[in-house]
Amino acid sequence: MTTVGIPQALLYYQYYPMWKTFFQHLGAQVVTSPPTTRGTVTSGSARVVAETCLPVKVFCGHVISLVGKCDYVFVPSIRSIERDAYNCSKFLGLPDVVKAVVPECPPLLDPDIDISKEGKRGFYLAIYALARRFTWNPLKVKEAAEAAWQCHMRFQSQTREEGITLSCALSRMEDGMPSDEEGVNPSSATIALIGHPYVLYDEYINHRFLQRLRQLGAQVVTPEMAQIQELDRGVTRLIGKPYWTYEDEVTGAGGHYLDSQVDGVIAIIAFGCGPDSVMIDVVKRYAQRVSKPFMAITIDEHTAEAGLVTRLEAFMDMLRRRQGWEGKA
Amino acid sequence: MEIYLGVDVGSVTTKLAALDENEGLVGSLYLRTQGKPIVMVQQGMRDIAECLPAGAVVRGVGTTGSARYLAGVLVGADVVKNEITAHAVGATHYVPDVQTIFEIGGQDSKIIILRQGVVVDFAMNTVCAAGTGSFLDQQASRLSMKIEDFGRQALESQMPVRIAGRCTVFAESDMIHKQQMGHRTEDILYGLCEALVRNYLNNIGLGKEILPPVVFQGGVAFNPGIVRAFEDTLKTKLIVPPYHEVMGAIGAALLAKEEIESHRRETQFRGFGISDMSFHTSSFECKACANICEIAQIMGDGKVVARWGGRCDMWERTSASVEQQA
Repeated sequence: MTTVGIPQALLYYQYYPMWKTFFQHLGAQVVTSPPTTRGTVTSGSARVVAETCLPVKVFCGHVISLVGKCDYVFVPSIRSIERDAYNCSKFLGLPDVVKAVVPECPPLLDPDIDISKEGKRGFYLAIYALARRFTWNPLKVKEAAEAAWQCHMRFQSQTREEGITLSCALSRMEDGMPSDEEGVNPSSATIALIGHPYVLYDEYINHRFLQRLRQLGAQVVTPEMAQIQELDRGVTRLIGKPYWTYEDEVTGAGGHYLDSQVDGVIAIIAFGCGPDSVMIDVVKRYAQRVSKPFMAITIDEHTAEAGLVTRLEAFMDMLRRRQGWEGKA
Repeated sequence: MEIYLGVDVGSVTTKLAALDENEGLVGSLYLRTQGKPIVMVQQGMRDIAECLPAGAVVRGVGTTGSARYLAGVLVGADVVKNEITAHAVGATHYVPDVQTIFEIGGQDSKIIILRQGVVVDFAMNTVCAAGTGSFLDQQASRLSMKIEDFGRQALESQMPVRIAGRCTVFAESDMIHKQQMGHRTEDILYGLCEALVRNYLNNIGLGKEILPPVVFQGGVAFNPGIVRAFEDTLKTKLIVPPYHEVMGAIGAALLAKEEIESHRRETQFRGFGISDMSFHTSSFECKACANICEIAQIMGDGKVVARWGGRCDMWERTSASVEQQA
């Protein structure tokens, strides 16, 4: 049986159930790389130029760890998923980067997804071309794609309707196990955590940020818990028309949560991320306008835990003392 | 007399403060950490014990600074607080209506924005230590000048030169270049002060509403050159409070007092005897998973006092259970 390797990095967090279902319906076996470790980061960053952002370094590390474990590695080039909004150039060139820096890598499955330029028709053609490696039967491809889409819809609705994180929904789908985050204790403050899933849910690179936040007594809400319309409205309010593909995770979630009842908003961004540096600034300005506590945490491979913990503790202290003050007033 | 102690162990200096029950400062210490936080905390405890009047009883102790957890287990802290909160509490004690706090220490710098006595916003320097005390120290020693004389000499400047302050490496090469061109030392020094202030305001001060009263504290507030550069740039008078260099420690002591009084409990202070205990630190690599974390272990008189440094809480849990058994 053909084995397809999926790196547990970048878009894995939002699309894995869909991708897995698709390949399984085509008769392939799916393996993923293990969660990020120090080894993953070290091996990845040793291969790419120093200026590359942390998430791409991590991605390369995951590809390296899949070498010898599969027949193909799935590295899509997702250029756009809607009209006139584009993905970061590092996503566009991902297959080429992988081919260049991991020459020992098994052949790539690297479909080009570009809805803005090719429209739906181009998207279907890309999927058929991808499925060619497994079957020549178009009906089988259609069936696999439909099953994958259904699965993706179910996955998305879980996070939105039940208010759970992507990582929680993922572990539920994978092991059928509810993760320990369910049934959280009544908390002192609600914090919205915004950013891309590959930064929010990679516990190695963000030093277990979510867990630390909960330990400090926060109830955490994340971008995927908000409704799509709410995120869209957030984007519209802050900048009008989205420019970046995953703008809703930062600008959209920022705009939405800053106008909601949460006590504070924290953004986690990867050092060297071009799109985020612009999006975060927009969110920061809006936070000042509505005077809601906001903090941006930048992480890179050298980030020491101490600085992160200090900022987090100070932020929570600030909220607590502020609540006390507002309570008295 | 009842005493509340605050210990602030920073990257470069270790500060201790002792307050009485009326929150008046009884004694304070300002020591160089010299890369040996444990030894300095022990020495600091020994020295501060000598400052205290006879019959003084320690009711509470708080720690802060980048080594706050380490200092916390050494002294048996009642509160372990981050530097932001500690500095804000310390500053509001002396300047109750403070709205902005600049704090520049050895390796980090902070800005804290308060409104009506409550922290509403803050920022710390991120990946770059440009414009902090260590850099000034380094440049002073390169010019074979005592850091204490740095600011005074900078004030004599008539025609400050412009120095790039974005990066310490560039600032240094810029300074050397200006020296070799024949500019006067005081003009270079004040130019450096201006560069650091510019860097501070453009980085961590970016987008912050800096309203008076502005309090400037931390070790760098000793430097009158930096104070003047801030005042010239902001066109506002800065308040450098008394004991500004130990403000974090004062804040930690006040927080300890608040904690003890609000919970009406006894302190966990281990006593001044810790100065004579022998503490050993060691580290090892945990091989339980692929992360291979470096775990630091602190032993006091042969017993494990604390372990940390892991990505997970495996060793922290173990040290807790070891303590229970002991």
